[in-house]
Formats: sequence, C-alpha cells, structure tokens
Amino acid sequence: MTRGVTRRPLLGLLIPAALAVLFIALPLIGLLVHVDWSNLPSQLVSTDVLTALRLSIECSLIAVAIALVIGVPLAYLLARTSLPGRRLIRGLVTLPLVLPPVVGGIALQAALGRTTPIGTVLDHFGIVLPFSTAGAAIAEAFVGFPFLVITVEAGLRQRDDHFEEVAATLGARPWRRFWQVTMPLAAPSIAAGAALCWARALGEFGATITFAGSFPGTTETLPIAAYSSFEGSGQVGEAITLSLLLLAISVLVLVVLRDRWLGALR
Amino acid sequence: MTLHAQVRTRLGSLHLDCDLSVESDVTVAVLGPNGAGKTTLLRIVAGLIPVDEGRVEVDGTVFEDTATRTWLTPEARRVGFVFQNHGLFPHLSVLDNVAFGLRARGVDRATAHARANEWLERVDLTRHVASRPSALSGGESQRAALARVLVTDPEILLLDEPLAAVDATGRLELRRALRRHLATFKGVRLVVTHDPLEAASLAERVVVLEDGRITQEGRFTDVSSRPRSAWIARMAGLNLLRGVVSDGSILVDDGSRLTVATAIEGPVLATIQPRAVALYRQAPDGSPRNVLRCTVAGVDPEGDRWRIRLEGPFPLVAEVTPAAAAELRLAEGGEVFAVVKATEIDVYSV
Repeated sequence: MTRGVTRRPLLGLLIPAALAVLFIALPLIGLLVHVDWSNLPSQLVSTDVLTALRLSIECSLIAVAIALVIGVPLAYLLARTSLPGRRLIRGLVTLPLVLPPVVGGIALQAALGRTTPIGTVLDHFGIVLPFSTAGAAIAEAFVGFPFLVITVEAGLRQRDDHFEEVAATLGARPWRRFWQVTMPLAAPSIAAGAALCWARALGEFGATITFAGSFPGTTETLPIAAYSSFEGSGQVGEAITLSLLLLAISVLVLVVLRDRWLGALR
Repeated sequence: MTLHAQVRTRLGSLHLDCDLSVESDVTVAVLGPNGAGKTTLLRIVAGLIPVDEGRVEVDGTVFEDTATRTWLTPEARRVGFVFQNHGLFPHLSVLDNVAFGLRARGVDRATAHARANEWLERVDLTRHVASRPSALSGGESQRAALARVLVTDPEILLLDEPLAAVDATGRLELRRALRRHLATFKGVRLVVTHDPLEAASLAERVVVLEDGRITQEGRFTDVSSRPRSAWIARMAGLNLLRGVVSDGSILVDDGSRLTVATAIEGPVLATIQPRAVALYRQAPDGSPRNVLRCTVAGVDPEGDRWRIRLEGPFPLVAEVTPAAAAELRLAEGGEVFAVVKATEIDVYSV
C-alpha cells in the first residue's frame, strides 16, 4: 500500500490540532458533566423553562418569516440584476455578521426607540417595539437575516439564469418564471438559509437584550433566561438545563443541514 | 414564411455582423467554428440578447428593430429554442416539462397534459412521462426538449448543436429522428452546428458563419466542393488556394505559379483533393509541370489513408497509403516533391 506523501501527518501539527479539538469539546463535556440528570425532566417542564422555550421559538420563527419576506427578494436582485450599488448593499448585508450584537441592539434602539421619529409614528398606531416580543423578533431578524441572504444569493448564483431563459423562450412571463422556475430551483438554498437564520435567531442574545430587555414571558428568550439564572438568581442548575436545551437544538440543526448548507456555500 | 435577421452586435471579443434570410421551405444549418457567433445569432432571434444595431422580423412581425426601438420579449415571440444542453427543468417531471410552454400560454392543466402526452408518444418517451430529466439519456433528453418546444407550435424552430450532448452510439438514431421531425415542421428551421456532417445530414441549405460574418451559403455539396474559406476547405478535407489565373496558369497569392486547366481568367479560388497530390523522393522525370519542393510538417495516420502535411510554397495536405508512406520514408522535416496534375486543380471564380 502506498500513500501520498501529504497523507502522512506531521507530528508537530498533531499536538496543536488535538488541542483545538479539546478546546471545542471540553466546554461541551463540562456542560454535560454538570447536568443534574435526575432533576433534568422536572426542570425541563418547569413553567419558566417552557415559557422561555415557547417565546424563543415564537420570536425566532417570526424573525425567519421577516428574513424570508425581505431577504429572498434582496438575494434575487443581488444575484440576478446589475443593481447599482450592489457591492455596497452586499457589504451592508454582511455587516450584522461581524457587528457586535450589542451594537446592533443599540442601533435598533436608536432607530426604532419610542422617542425616535419612526418610534413616534409607530407609537401613534399603538405599536411599541422596544422591550416587546415584536422587538425581540426584530432584533433576532436583524442578526439572522444576513445568513439567509448570503446563502440564497450563493444558491441563485450557482444556478445561473439559464433555466429562466429557457422558461422565457417557452412563453413564461417574468412572474411565472420567478415562481415556477427560479424559486423551486432555489428551494434547497432557501431552506438552508432559513434554517441557518433560525439557528442564529434562536441563540441571539446581545441585540435582543439591548433592544428588548429581559422580561420573563415577553422578551426573555432561552439564551437570556440561561444568562439570567446563571448570573442573577444563582440557579446554575437551571442555566445548565437551558444551555443543554440550546445545545441539543444546535446539534439538531447541524445534523439536518450538514450537507445542505455546506453544499449551497461551496 | 421567412425570417430576416440583420444583426450587428458586439459581445466580448465577438463582432457579429450578418444578414440572414431563412425561408421555411428548407432546413437551414448555420455552420462554423466554435466562437463564430452561431449561438449568439440564435439567442438574438429568440430575444435573449438585444442587438446593438439591426432588425429581426418574421413575415411582417417585427421582433426587434433598433431604428424604431421595437422590441418583443422572448415570451412574446413564437420561437422554439432547443438549447445545446437541452435545458430541461430538473425540478419538473418530463411530462410537466413538456407541458410547461402550454401552461405558460394559459392552456389549462388537463389539456396541456393531454397534448404533452401526445408529443411524448411521438418522440417515443411514453415510459418516461413521470421521470425526472436526470433519469434520461442524452438522446432521450434531446427528444424531450424537442417535444417541449414543438408542442407549443412555434413559428420558428432553433436547434443549438442538437447532437452535441448525445453520445456517439445514440447519435445516428437521434439524427434520423431529428430529420423526421424537422421534415414535418412547417415553420422556419434553423440548426446551429460546428459539424459539417451534421449540417449535411440535417439541412438542405448551409450558411457558413466565421468570426461573426457569413462567408458562404448555399447547398451543402456546393459549399463543400467550392469552399470560399480555409475553414470550410479544411472541414471538407480540401486544399484551398487563392490566386489569379492568366494564360492557363494560376499565380497563387504567395507568389508560386501552377499550371491549371481552365478557361476562367482573373481572381479565383482553387481546390486540390489531398489524394490528387502525388509524392516523390526525387524530382520526377518527364513533364509534370506542377512540381513543388516541400518539407514534411506532419504525418497523421488515419486508417488506410495517411494524411501528410507539407510545407512548401504554400501549405498542402497529401493523402497516401501507409505502404507508400513507408516506401517514401516520410518523416517530419524530410524533403519530398509534390506533384499535382493541372486537371486535378478545380478552379472557380471568387
């Protein structure tokens, strides 16, 4: 059996590589070690946990819906047209990915807060975003929607406009082409983008707590609840339970998406 | 029915400048090397790209006219385009693919499916009605693409390299099927190909497009026996010379002179069949008048005829048997004498 020269591992690299694996794995192992397995079932079904879980799912799904409605059209325009200022828009869309979430929250507060022009108008209609469930969803959408736009745009680019041209020569008008050809072909990348966006929204902490605060039942989502019980009430056990729940959801998303979203971004 | 296309357009390094008329009574092949602008021409007719300057018209219906700023969208033109890669929608069944054009034009689902089924029967694909396009072979997918276009009853049928995505074994049969469907189609038929054999077998008339310009058009046999460009001559396997005839001899453009047997005078093209070029080790005795001293530039064994590429006063290809090649000890760089009889040079006016 002959093996390629690059297949033989360099021993000097093995040690830092092993450290890297440990670095990722150790905290997770630590989490699992500290789980109070006997009390886990009762903690999982406690009202606090269930309330936070329900709120998290609610907010993150609304965030995904917002991201889909505004993100897919944007991704389409970025991928298919020579929109002026495309580079700038693309940069802007990527910004929430690198922006500290707290800054995002403060920015949202500055734009949509009650005393701002937009906030005043919304207030007039009885809508208050800061420190509300809707506000939490908007904060999550802000942080999560770049994942959707980037994934969908990459997916659309991978499939150029050939099939849309084919549809046009077969007599299909632009909207029919969009709904019958472009969207179905982009469906896998839309699903992958939505799932990524959802996972990010579900774990969102900084922007949400800054813009929406942490009111149990209204804006206290799972990550915020985990942090509150860890930091404030000293209920480390509950914090660990909540963390375990979030970890389980993340692993699930990863497993479901492993091929899908890697494929779309490749 | 007649398609008129006057087209002047720049696309990257391509400068397409041609004036094409296609009658519906015969199938027309646009033949040319890769990058000549053949596909671009089809895309212009289909309305997938606009021209910089020109006019595309079918029997009074103006598709596009830059002078009057007229433009019909692709969906408004009744053009059936069979793409080189067939372009079957991967997310739809073969039946839904074929029904797509009818549905897009407002035909209800039941009728569209019924007519799609009819066409799938005609192209012998009934067992693949529910299949995804990915399950089809190259030939089957080509036939599905053809059915998808023909079911919409277009006025113009455009085929882009129809046999390119089909493997060699399926090609013969598909070509036969294609010829049958082309024969029954009533409208304008335009086939793009880089393969002279395909052009000859599918079309009655050939338009040669080279580097964005039409260099020759006519019946295939006329075009291939009297080529007007080096590319066609090479495709037809002929040596092509350009020159001027006076007093029974042709002064070739590079300065050499050959005796010819023709009554034509003035600027001409002349072809020489490779098998009419005789090769000798020594300058032959007697009185053959066209003796050219050449060096062998290459030897291409092709079955029982070997093609010998020669560099002399002008490049020349000779065809000899393997036995003759061995006897002449032909090798690259070696010197030979090429002899061509005056009667073997076919001369025609430019």
